[in-house]
Amino acid sequence: MDLSDSVLDHLRHMAALPDLTGTRYELEREIGRGGMGVVYAARDRELDRRVALKVLDAELEGEARLIARLEHPAIVPIHEAGRLPDGRAFYAMKLVAGVRLDHHLARSPSLAERLRAIRRVGEALAYAHTAGAIHRDLKPQNVMVGEFGELYVMDWGVDAVAGTPGFRAPETPLDRRSDIYSLGALLQFVLPAGGPPALRAIAAKAMRADPADRYPDAGALLADIERFQEGLAVGAWSEPWGHRLRRFGSRNAVLLWLLAAYAGVKFVLFFLRNL
Amino acid sequence: MDQDTAIGGPHGRFPSTRISLLEAATGGMPNEALERVIALYWKPVYRFIRFKFRKDNEDAKDLTQSFFTTALERDFFARFDPSKASFRTYLRMAVERFAANQHAAANRQKRGGDIEFEPLEEQAAEAESPERVFEREWQRQLFALALDDLRAHCEASGKELQLRIFEAYDLAGQERPSYAGLAAQHGIAETSVTNHLAWARRMLRGFVTERLRGVTSGDRELREEMRRVWT
Repeated sequence: MDLSDSVLDHLRHMAALPDLTGTRYELEREIGRGGMGVVYAARDRELDRRVALKVLDAELEGEARLIARLEHPAIVPIHEAGRLPDGRAFYAMKLVAGVRLDHHLARSPSLAERLRAIRRVGEALAYAHTAGAIHRDLKPQNVMVGEFGELYVMDWGVDAVAGTPGFRAPETPLDRRSDIYSLGALLQFVLPAGGPPALRAIAAKAMRADPADRYPDAGALLADIERFQEGLAVGAWSEPWGHRLRRFGSRNAVLLWLLAAYAGVKFVLFFLRNL
Repeated sequence: MDQDTAIGGPHGRFPSTRISLLEAATGGMPNEALERVIALYWKPVYRFIRFKFRKDNEDAKDLTQSFFTTALERDFFARFDPSKASFRTYLRMAVERFAANQHAAANRQKRGGDIEFEPLEEQAAEAESPERVFEREWQRQLFALALDDLRAHCEASGKELQLRIFEAYDLAGQERPSYAGLAAQHGIAETSVTNHLAWARRMLRGFVTERLRGVTSGDRELREEMRRVWT
């Protein structure tokens, strides 16, 4: 006898739920689907706290071990990694109370706030790269902004098929430079319409098709953003003269005002002497 | 409307599916590979042909049978490239080409003949695309085979109680019984009902995975197909 649609749907749903028998966790609800599996909110009965439980689709224990090695304020800490009775790998991590970066942008944060988010992501990336980890699927949906402004980069990947169109570098296999591409795409994404051309140029350089033409590392990209914020010329953009003068003017406004005042006083004195 | 076919079921025990489809096909077991494919895909192909080409039961059965016979003759597995599409998609597209050619040939023969009537039920089913019908039938058959595996396993290992509880709860077509009701009915604690259900679901998941492994090219395709199965 054929299974009815409702029984089939029930079986698909029940068989998909993680089997937590014998573990310290109690399932609450599904909170998201990442590149490698499903994330659930769960309660840790032993420590009486809520955690995020990521259940991986297949043999991807390496992902948990990889992330567990990373200790950085912008990388969500792993509490435990293991294997469920049904054979799937899982890891429990801090449950971040916050919103995804794309939802956060809907609240129209200032340019400085947007750049702060990019800097935090870039710092996490730079750290992870030195630890030998690559994200491979950096996108706004994988960046969480907490209620106190804290930021976490989620969903660190180890699968060569990872990546999201629009944020994924064109080359295969993905490497550290591919993360630089995604960071550039993220910068482009957070910029408001008509954002500063210098920042758009930084994003464009990070997203060049040839990895060798991109920034060599996340630190170099962040340094260019910092130069922009300090009113200096950025390496990614050959600035027109008009822009240079305006930038010089705004960066040296006090000096220019002093010079103008000095010239004004000199002029008045000259005028009075010749009366 | 005439009844669907009974071919492709009931589902007996099946050859080992521990190795992937391509390993079986290229490792000197092309017949076993095809057997796995037929066990899982006979009904989806048949339903797809019925809805896509509006064939009646007998014609759809004949076309399905011809497709699998031709597939065996024409080195079907050797032409499957896992880097381009999943085996499921490759097979559906092959069926579509095959049935379209046969359908066109049949139409040429009877051009000027009788008007073809479309059964009412089939018109209603057009709310779903034939591709969606194919995928749905694939899921249905996959679970049906995994349920057969689960039943066989329970019988062989003396887990009839677990099976009965699982069938009473998870296969209930109407209202599901309560855990307390099941516990009272079988004279066991409510926690035992929970444990038996968890065990049966875990086993079912394992059998679904094994069946899928048998008709996919490797871990990557298996993982992608599993995502299409779990809701």
